[in-house]
Amino acid sequence: MTKLLSTYEGLVSTTVISQLRQLGLRLAGKKVVHVNSTREGGGVAEILEWMVPLMQDVGLDVQWEVIEGNADFFDVTKKFHNGLQGFPVTINSREWQTYRGLNEENAVRLRPILEDADLVVIHDPQPAALLGLCPNRKGKWIWRAHIDVSRPARAVWQGLKPFVSGYDASIFSMCQFAQPLPHPQFLIPPSIDPLSQKNMDLAPEEIAAVRHQYNLDPKKPLLVQISRFDRFKDPLGVIAAYQLVRKVQPVQLVLAGGGATDDPEGQKVLEEVLEAANGDPDIHVLLLPSDAHRTINALQRLADIVIQKSTREGFGLTVTEGLWKGKPVIGGDTGGIRLQLINYHTGFLVNTPEGAAHRIRFLLHHKGLRNKMGVKAREFVRENFLHTRQLREYLTLFHILNSQQEASTIYI
Amino acid sequence: MEDFIIQDCTLLSRTSNVPPAINLRELRDRIATCRQDVLYHHFCETPLVPCFDNPDYRNDFAVWALLQVGDRVLAERLGIINPYLYTDLEKLREQVLEILDERLSEVHFVPSCLHGSEFFFSEAVTVVFDTGLRVTSPPELPEAIGRMTNGSIYYHFLESRRREPVGVDDFSAWLACFPGHEDWCQSLQSVDFSFFTLSELRDELVRTLQTGGAS
Repeated sequence: MTKLLSTYEGLVSTTVISQLRQLGLRLAGKKVVHVNSTREGGGVAEILEWMVPLMQDVGLDVQWEVIEGNADFFDVTKKFHNGLQGFPVTINSREWQTYRGLNEENAVRLRPILEDADLVVIHDPQPAALLGLCPNRKGKWIWRAHIDVSRPARAVWQGLKPFVSGYDASIFSMCQFAQPLPHPQFLIPPSIDPLSQKNMDLAPEEIAAVRHQYNLDPKKPLLVQISRFDRFKDPLGVIAAYQLVRKVQPVQLVLAGGGATDDPEGQKVLEEVLEAANGDPDIHVLLLPSDAHRTINALQRLADIVIQKSTREGFGLTVTEGLWKGKPVIGGDTGGIRLQLINYHTGFLVNTPEGAAHRIRFLLHHKGLRNKMGVKAREFVRENFLHTRQLREYLTLFHILNSQQEASTIYI
Repeated sequence: MEDFIIQDCTLLSRTSNVPPAINLRELRDRIATCRQDVLYHHFCETPLVPCFDNPDYRNDFAVWALLQVGDRVLAERLGIINPYLYTDLEKLREQVLEILDERLSEVHFVPSCLHGSEFFFSEAVTVVFDTGLRVTSPPELPEAIGRMTNGSIYYHFLESRRREPVGVDDFSAWLACFPGHEDWCQSLQSVDFSFFTLSELRDELVRTLQTGGAS
């Protein structure tokens, strides 16, 4: 369903909405083209699904184009993805040729649209080579890196860098994720949609039904970690923390995630999790389908404490989602979780199962503080990490590039 | 008397070319040579940067010293700096370097943070625009402030202190043109803005004007 800006009224203040309209008014009619590699599935498509209609709603002439690829191309770009995130991969010359070739094929179709646009946003590495294939471009081109490229496999970055260096600007989610490039690199953290199935308010009956469906005891405090079964999410560490808490007081744990069945590594981790759970009736390991957004939403709302005990993490939007539900979060001291969890304010950062157990006990003991932290956490998300903020920052960037000024303050 | 022109602004952070610092020595050396925009960003623009905290200190250096380096002495010394008292950012830089040098002379080893918690230097670009809204007389001001965005509050109450007349917020500067509103000016100037988020500051300004007395 296409959402208009007005649907966010009530969740954010009217001044936030009117500010976005003011920013849009001054860009009215500008032709903006977003390009990525898939229309459905994946984080980037999810972002464009909301961003494109909202940009149109504030007056921009926005198109979303998707490059067409084949299995060989996506095998190569999957290697890019892994290599840019630091895994040692090798890309041979034939694979680089596949990458260039598919971009050339797509350029034939997209060139008229891209060269005519005032602003082009290329998402991730897959379509990045299009810049060099549009020599008569008139607008500004932005490369949006959605992944952490702070410690890439050197050969992959060296190969990709010539394709992205020529852009007018790039966007990274955090300064920790960026790489030096010969153009301005802007910082736009991700955001969550308060109206999505995963984050919208749910009726108490629906939440209760999920509690009943999964046999959760309303009398025992509930800990919930939502994430795929991946070693970096440390589900075994969460079980160890739960077991330490259980020695002192009754408690129950939900570990819920999806996507393990077609992932051999995920399947193995899931088996290890089930083994560690050892049939404990208070540990609920839930393998959920990929569209179980409302169930995830309900589980987070049922939780007394949300946990995200990752040992390695990108921004960590599951933490943001937990905070939006008004829950303090206990999270691993890594990546973007560090930005989101401030001890005693929005949650706690921990490094070990023992540390997690201690903070779980602390929060269960201090119910008043837990509630206060939850209220505060939700307000921080409302102010800073909803889609309206991300839209504002994109519009701000468009103004900056449109102004042709180098100054740190631009009057429009 | 001229109408009060309500401006708004939005900020977008960007990386600087300054390498991250992992200890106080590196922090000192980077601050000594970074662009003024970097210094300004970490001292003054923090209220507009998306974050999850309403920290004890309003500048990023003090927050880093406290949370990542664990040097509470340094955090306290840096945290009390009011950047708006410095009309020249070079003077502010000198003051910060003085504090860092003093601290480095006191400690037996150079305090450091853990890998992954380095201080990342950034800067920002601010886009300022006229909202088209006007306040024509002082009695309208509290309600108008109550409807302002965080960007407008930042621009008119904080950023304004660096513009002429230096050290004065836009609301006070405008009210000063209307005889009989000295109490409001005084009340606004006595607001200690350091401990408010921008939305809290908006509420505080409205409350101050509503209770601060005016003729």
